[in-house]
Amino acid sequence: MFFLHEFTLPIGPQHPALAEPIHFRLKVDGETVIDAEMHLGYNHRGIEKALESKQWFKGVFLAGRICGICSQSHTATYSQGIEKLAEVTVPDRGKYARTIFAEIERIHSHMLLLAVAGHTIGFDTAFHYIWRDREYALEISELLSGKRVQQDFNTIGGVRWDISEDQIRKINQNLDKIEERAKHYYKIFTKDRTIRKRLKGVGRLSAREAQDFGVVGPVARASGLNSDLRTRGYSAYGDIHFKPVIGSEGDCMERMVVRLRELRGSVKIIRDCLANFPSGEAKAKLPLVLNVEKGKEAVSRIEAPRGELIYYIKSNGLTPERVKIRTPTFANFSCVGKILEGTQVADAPITVASLDPCIACCDRLTVLDVNTGKEKVMDHHELEDMRK
Amino acid sequence: MINEIFFLLVFPGLLAAGFFGLLYEGILRKISARMQSRVGPPVWQPFFDWVKLMSKENITPRNGVGFVMTLCPVIAFAAALSAIVFIPVAGFSPAGFPGNVLIVIYLLVAYTLSFAVAGWASGSPFGSVGSIRELTLLFSYEFPFIVSLLTIGFMTGFQVSPFLASHFPLAFFAFLVSVIGSLSLPPFHVPDAEQEIVGGPLVEYSGPRLGMFSLAKAVKFWVLISLGVVMFLGGGTIEWFLIKSFFLVIVVSIAKTVFARLRIDQTFRLFWLVIGPLALIDLIRAVFGIWV
Repeated sequence: MFFLHEFTLPIGPQHPALAEPIHFRLKVDGETVIDAEMHLGYNHRGIEKALESKQWFKGVFLAGRICGICSQSHTATYSQGIEKLAEVTVPDRGKYARTIFAEIERIHSHMLLLAVAGHTIGFDTAFHYIWRDREYALEISELLSGKRVQQDFNTIGGVRWDISEDQIRKINQNLDKIEERAKHYYKIFTKDRTIRKRLKGVGRLSAREAQDFGVVGPVARASGLNSDLRTRGYSAYGDIHFKPVIGSEGDCMERMVVRLRELRGSVKIIRDCLANFPSGEAKAKLPLVLNVEKGKEAVSRIEAPRGELIYYIKSNGLTPERVKIRTPTFANFSCVGKILEGTQVADAPITVASLDPCIACCDRLTVLDVNTGKEKVMDHHELEDMRK
Repeated sequence: MINEIFFLLVFPGLLAAGFFGLLYEGILRKISARMQSRVGPPVWQPFFDWVKLMSKENITPRNGVGFVMTLCPVIAFAAALSAIVFIPVAGFSPAGFPGNVLIVIYLLVAYTLSFAVAGWASGSPFGSVGSIRELTLLFSYEFPFIVSLLTIGFMTGFQVSPFLASHFPLAFFAFLVSVIGSLSLPPFHVPDAEQEIVGGPLVEYSGPRLGMFSLAKAVKFWVLISLGVVMFLGGGTIEWFLIKSFFLVIVVSIAKTVFARLRIDQTFRLFWLVIGPLALIDLIRAVFGIWV
């Protein structure tokens, strides 16, 4: 152990810098990472299975519990899928409210990541400042739904609470502050020399590689792919004019810059939505127990803060027969091994953090054979057999 | 004899050094907390921490070498404490003789070496990486540190004695930066980057061993700040001495707040290619007696 050239550096699942249940094994030569292994499976919660026993309306609340940060995206995606199945039309006001809330979530999620990135490169001041300013977004969230996180704002057929004139005024006030701070942080991240030294050229992923690995969200956009699902115009995005932010460098710096620019983009989208806020109902009138034709399927996709979130839903009448969730982190994590290889140990945390990982939402079940130490992923039939 | 014992144990020795070192640390934490718009811990927090650590138990990991793990904090503490004897704090000068600048430099290196050995002895991969980084950092900041001290040394006969370095701003700057490196504060807190290697060499330490290390760190803080005040800011009476010390502490805490952590290779390059040459300019001026 003392003077070996190579050794294995474990990071996680308990690690001060990584508040997520994931385990990395970095094979290290001095300060260079020569190989990176990743182990998942510490926090499998069986939510997909649990959803099968929940009636449609109740399931939306469970879907919101998948992630603490992008709770809104999960409820929106699940509701959107069920709306497709049950052929429900969401009123315009509901669509706009959803869009507004989605963007507020994007703001606070991006700010959270920027703060964490600051902390990860040892810049605690940035962490504290951004964390403080993230409160503006959380205040809006609390104003609209009564909750700072786990908002449960969406439901099938619209949103649960309408947005009032008073609230709009307060939202606009907070948006001004957010915009001002976003500009400030853009300047800091692009101008500060120590930040540039730590982020520029680290964890580079070319456009080609990004495409091959199938990464999504800001990570793909930083590599130059137009992966923004919002351009496809679900919710109210079709009516609102906006341009997706697309970078070119594909390094950690670019990923941060893309998010910083999206902050301002989100502020603009919310302002546009509020300016053209349609009148009428915010929620479609629906029966309390929704019955969907058996065997019907739907795929629902949304651009969550971290990237494309996909729900596949198959109906079984009063409940889903099967729900399959593909969270953005799951797609983004395929490239971890690639971008970690050859970096310095010091760059490993920021490289992982720049993907904005949210492990708990994407965790899968891995079965570890204690006798042989082999891991395997079980397929559907094997699980069925085990149940018997 | 009584005087020597007083110097060593009360002022400017153990009691004063421990007290002011921990106080500086508290002030440092408070200032940077206020700058980060936090409330921050009370100024006395390092004292509470120290008392708490001293009352806890030592834990030796299975791979660790208990004997070395106990010895290292003692050596670090002893090295830092002995360095005080050579620094005339507010006119008290127990061991002032030409050439003692070199002894101070030696003792400070001994302190860092014991940190590195402590990391290896703890038998943890994080500790090992931390130790390597500690030594690399030592090689980085030591160059401008020694050069800047020698610059003033040329003027004072290599003795740690009050000198106002108004002619050597570059040496003072180099000294300040290397002091920040020597204390492993941001942007040079590479050895104990908790985001990467979970606290570096001291990751496996607990109880009185960690307490000794934290006291040694505090004493070193006092030594370095006093060294700066005496060699570069002209020392002075006790009030002036403390005012100047607080000024340096404030400078250090601003640096702690406004920078991100550099990588170890970037740190090395910065010290050898930027700060070092700057210090050399002043050394050359001092040797050849070129004033502006």
